[in-house]
Amino acid sequence: MSEQLIDQVKQLIIDSLRIEGMEVGDIETDAPLFGEGLGLDSIDALQLVVGMEKEFGVVVPDAETGNKVFRSVRTMADYIAEHRK
Amino acid sequence: MDCFMFPGQPLAFPTALPDDGDFFTIAELVRQRTGFDLYSSTWIRDSGTDNTGFQLHGVAMSLYLNRKKRAEGSQPAVVAEHSMGIYAALAASGSLAEGEAIEVTWRLGSCMAKMGETGYYALGCIIGLTSEPVLALARNCGVHLANHNTSRHFLLCGTREKIETAVAEAVAHGAFSAKSFPCDAPLHTPLIQELESPLRQILAEYQYWEPSCILVDHLEQKRLKAHDLADFMFRQLCMPVYWEKTYRSLVAMGIRRFHEIGAGDALKKYNRWIESEMTR
Repeated sequence: MSEQLIDQVKQLIIDSLRIEGMEVGDIETDAPLFGEGLGLDSIDALQLVVGMEKEFGVVVPDAETGNKVFRSVRTMADYIAEHRK
Repeated sequence: MDCFMFPGQPLAFPTALPDDGDFFTIAELVRQRTGFDLYSSTWIRDSGTDNTGFQLHGVAMSLYLNRKKRAEGSQPAVVAEHSMGIYAALAASGSLAEGEAIEVTWRLGSCMAKMGETGYYALGCIIGLTSEPVLALARNCGVHLANHNTSRHFLLCGTREKIETAVAEAVAHGAFSAKSFPCDAPLHTPLIQELESPLRQILAEYQYWEPSCILVDHLEQKRLKAHDLADFMFRQLCMPVYWEKTYRSLVAMGIRRFHEIGAGDALKKYNRWIESEMTR
């Protein structure tokens, strides 16, 4: 998977969640997105689902898939790489 | 124009508290007026429920952050509130003193907690479904809509058993997230009407001053006046919170700067979602 896609995912997180004062380089690729890492919650996750669909045409169909996809930036990028058309 | 938004109660005790004189002052007020110690999250006089404790933490954090914002020179032209956020909103708009806002939070919370002695209630947080299936499954399961926060974020309330069924149904319908949380009483539902007499009696014991700024209600998005407050505070416990309508009405009023004055940032996140739909 390309570093470019990793950076695109980080930018998607910053833009979708309107995280002020954060840049792509501030987000760790393998850090957990929920809980300790970026501290995201279910409200954020749904916003990311919409963002991924809009930006990459990739659908996260249910919560079970979401739990796997939104573990880290890397798992998001893996899922996008696998499912985008 | 700046809007101060006061969120509802948190669903857990905080893991950390501010360590300064303003918070200490608020904590002392809470301890004196209610017998609840914010630092240890325990009842030092009488006994109370965790949910009433959550409500006190919520109002205390809002009062504290309101003080901080004012100290920075920020003054709201408009105050909006979500659910239990009304108590701190009344203090922020000068309708009640801080101590009264804390005391009324505790008295109403304790009164409603009595329902939990004879019944088991819960909230169901449903994320991802639209209102149509959420309202249909609420009807099917015999529970009530308690919050309409955005087009995809809802809170249901009812008996614990029925909420568990509704949550399972929501997952089966494809909800992105569906979770339940125990609560003392069926907040924001008509079931609260069985407490109408004691709740109205508590509310009638306070004098409400005219709000010093525009205070917008979350039921009909109207400007609340002093003479509306006691009635509104009872009615809002029996009816759903309509945050999406409230936020849209605030934007229509020309407000562009919103400050969430309370624990967490749920309202900010709801607003972000609503805005994303407004600009589509």
